[in-house]
Amino acid sequence: MADHNDPNAVNSIFSDIDVSAADLYDFFGFPSADTDGGEKVVMALTFASVPKAGVFDTDMLYRMQISADPRVAGPSDDEHTLKGLLRYFEALKERYLGPSKAAEIRVTVDQNQQATVKFIDFPGGSFATTLETNQVRTIQTPDGHSIKAYIGGRDDAFFNDLTGFFRSINYAPQFYHVPHTMTSARELKIPKTLLELEGNHLFNFDPNDPEWGYHGNKRELPPGPLTWNGDKFFKDANGNYRFVYSGRDCQAGINVNAIILEIPLAFITKSPDRDRIVNCWGESWVLKAANKIETIPDHPFWLEHPWALIDAIKLDAELKKYKLVDTDGQPFADAALSEREDNRQLGANNFWLAPHFIKRLAHLGWGFGPSISALGLQTSFDHDNSPVSVHKTYSLVTKAFPRAKKTLFQRLNMPDDSWNPKGLNIPLRRPFEIFVPNVCAIDMDTTGTWPYGRRLEDQVATRFLSMFLDHTAELNGKKYHVELLNDQALWDAAPIEPKTVPNPQKNDKEFLTDFPYLAEPW
Amino acid sequence: MLNNPKSDFEIELDRMDQGIAELEDSAWNLPIDRVKITKLAYLQYQRAALTGNLAELTVADNSLDYAIEHLGRDGDLYFLKANIHFKLHRLDDVGLDLEASADLRQSPPGRALKADLDFQQGRYNAARDEYERLIEEERSWDALARLAYFNFKMGDFGEADRLYDEAVDELTAKEMRHYAWVELQRGVVDLTRGDYEKTREHYQRAERAYSGHWLVDEHLAELLGATGESDEAAATYQRVIARVPRPDFQQALGELYLSMGKNAEAKDCLASAETAFIESAERGEVHYYHHLADLYADVFENGAEAVKWAQKDLNLRRNFSTLAAMAWALYRAGEFSKALELMNESLASGVKDARLFYQAGMIHKAFSPNGKAHNYLRMAAAINPNYENFHVHR
Repeated sequence: MADHNDPNAVNSIFSDIDVSAADLYDFFGFPSADTDGGEKVVMALTFASVPKAGVFDTDMLYRMQISADPRVAGPSDDEHTLKGLLRYFEALKERYLGPSKAAEIRVTVDQNQQATVKFIDFPGGSFATTLETNQVRTIQTPDGHSIKAYIGGRDDAFFNDLTGFFRSINYAPQFYHVPHTMTSARELKIPKTLLELEGNHLFNFDPNDPEWGYHGNKRELPPGPLTWNGDKFFKDANGNYRFVYSGRDCQAGINVNAIILEIPLAFITKSPDRDRIVNCWGESWVLKAANKIETIPDHPFWLEHPWALIDAIKLDAELKKYKLVDTDGQPFADAALSEREDNRQLGANNFWLAPHFIKRLAHLGWGFGPSISALGLQTSFDHDNSPVSVHKTYSLVTKAFPRAKKTLFQRLNMPDDSWNPKGLNIPLRRPFEIFVPNVCAIDMDTTGTWPYGRRLEDQVATRFLSMFLDHTAELNGKKYHVELLNDQALWDAAPIEPKTVPNPQKNDKEFLTDFPYLAEPW
Repeated sequence: MLNNPKSDFEIELDRMDQGIAELEDSAWNLPIDRVKITKLAYLQYQRAALTGNLAELTVADNSLDYAIEHLGRDGDLYFLKANIHFKLHRLDDVGLDLEASADLRQSPPGRALKADLDFQQGRYNAARDEYERLIEEERSWDALARLAYFNFKMGDFGEADRLYDEAVDELTAKEMRHYAWVELQRGVVDLTRGDYEKTREHYQRAERAYSGHWLVDEHLAELLGATGESDEAAATYQRVIARVPRPDFQQALGELYLSMGKNAEAKDCLASAETAFIESAERGEVHYYHHLADLYADVFENGAEAVKWAQKDLNLRRNFSTLAAMAWALYRAGEFSKALELMNESLASGVKDARLFYQAGMIHKAFSPNGKAHNYLRMAAAINPNYENFHVHR
């Protein structure tokens, strides 16, 4: 019929698959309370439960990369310059692209839902094993360690008001059916904000439709310019601002599939006393089409000799059969700090986007900074005392940097000393260190609470917002800290409705006290 | 007794049918639900494309008209409409569809389709430049495949292979139909070079990737015809026609029978194809003009009729292919001077194709003994030593 080319691309943009097993959700990591036989680190990579919770997509390969290193100081306090920061990023580049390759764990699941787990390039060597899914199992390593493993369905351990977050950044697809071809209508060019903007009818809460934006409840995109032309925050008759957050848990009742491991630190590094920071991140890879048709059953060698060393086998050849889809290290590293889709694939290598990170942080600062000021709090972002949030983007990092400098370099206070149970001289972490590289950096001398790792009970979405607070300021005689916005008393006293913390304070299901820690699936 | 497992084609078709059944009633309700009606039209379009049933495109087009009437200038709706018009060779309409929505025009899929339109209308540089820009922005498999096709037509087979390699590398296990489609394109590239073994490998890979697709059989039938496995080719065409009773496949089978010396069978097939082509044209459809020109020029050797249909196609789109078809029709009509003029315009596009060079050679041979005929025939043989073997008009 046709003498023209027809690559069926129409099918690519109208894809029916909304959620994919490649969608990584979270990476949790913290030191285990169980120190019998030595220190252990808990890591959990969670992702979409496709095809369903406890059942894995056999085309996927999940990868957890792990690199244990000594705790090092970033640029000193007298190096708070763009040049110093870029030098720091350059040094990271050397470290992550240099010869010191991270060890890794790869997981695939076969048609019988048996998981093949490969441990690669650990100090004790490499080996592989097979595990039943949805069962807690203990893996004995060739060098005598015991690793607890669970690969299966769980309750989603993330708890947050995702709709509130999307309302804060005016993210249209959460609230509207945005046509596939309308690629520019994602984050609309409306100031990002924590407080509703007067007249922002595109995103403000509608009391007549309180479920709008929740659970897939969307509207048609209205005609006309998708912008906002106001000049102030909205205030109700009582003079209260309207919070974009509701404190609701949008993840309640949602399951995930997860890879959860509890690994002896001595298995990860030969020098556990020196290497106190365990940097880790997760990746999802999907089998390439060409390799799908060339697939042969799992190598019988693995099944017959599960403990055999696999040094001799070129696993790079395995990875070449897959395509990297998603990465996960720090919460909000891509959802908030990048509007570039390709950042999803950069993972620990996100230092390539470091200048973009600075510009994006300044863009967010112009939104969140004035909101914080309006509430009578001090912000770390220099917004020239703007009375209302501003939509501003930067093409030059040199212009963005002075605005975001304090936000980038300030040390984030912790609410108390419980994070540092040994009372060691551990420097407070700074945003630029937290987000670049995009890894979960677990400090083994701490409890692993964010940003020294990430514990299940951490309300990271609210802690993320605390970056925009000025941590040198004080409230009621106490320095601002990462939990300040998670304090109900703060909101009770604020001129705002609803009087709620931004995000829920706990998960919808109690976490377990023992491995695998994440709650049973629903 | 064990049932035969369903093929990938059947599984996907079932899924589409189920999706259409779920939407067919509610999607039409007022106030119209944009998501539902778009999805319905998309599924109808997808079904038509999968089954090769062009009449079903009209069903999708009707859904789109209804949706546009109620929803206005929605980019997604016009994108689907543009794709339907493209399949039906209504290129002016494609241009209008793309103009209907600024969002669509600026979106990557809209830009890719505009570049396809440029290619079809002979604006080769514009097409190539846009393909390259799209690839620079995102190395998507479909943009790579588009540029690969461009290079294939321009005779840069190495670059076409490289780009197809890259396109294949972008495709995942979740996109097996697309993968099979790219493998078929790669087979066509090798077929036009006369490399039948490689062609077979590509087609077999396509079948393994996405089982049960008539499109793979249709390509395989051509290969079998080219390699002289004529009985098997005919049987394969018959199976394809039983599933997809399209006149262009009847034409192909008819030409195969001619090559086998089965004139009676050929006559039936070709008459049937001719009737269907004419009926289509009488309904105002334009997508078989090219086939009518070929049929009259190559098979019936009726120059006047060939010129008539080739001119209609040329009026729609002035590209190397329609120019060559017109030149060939004029050759059949004995108008060698005009034939040469148009053939030269076709060759000026830069396209390098064995069939085109063969036709250029024959026209030169008829026009004057200037030696160019020999050159062109040699160029045709250099690309494909077997250029005179059985082939279909794609």
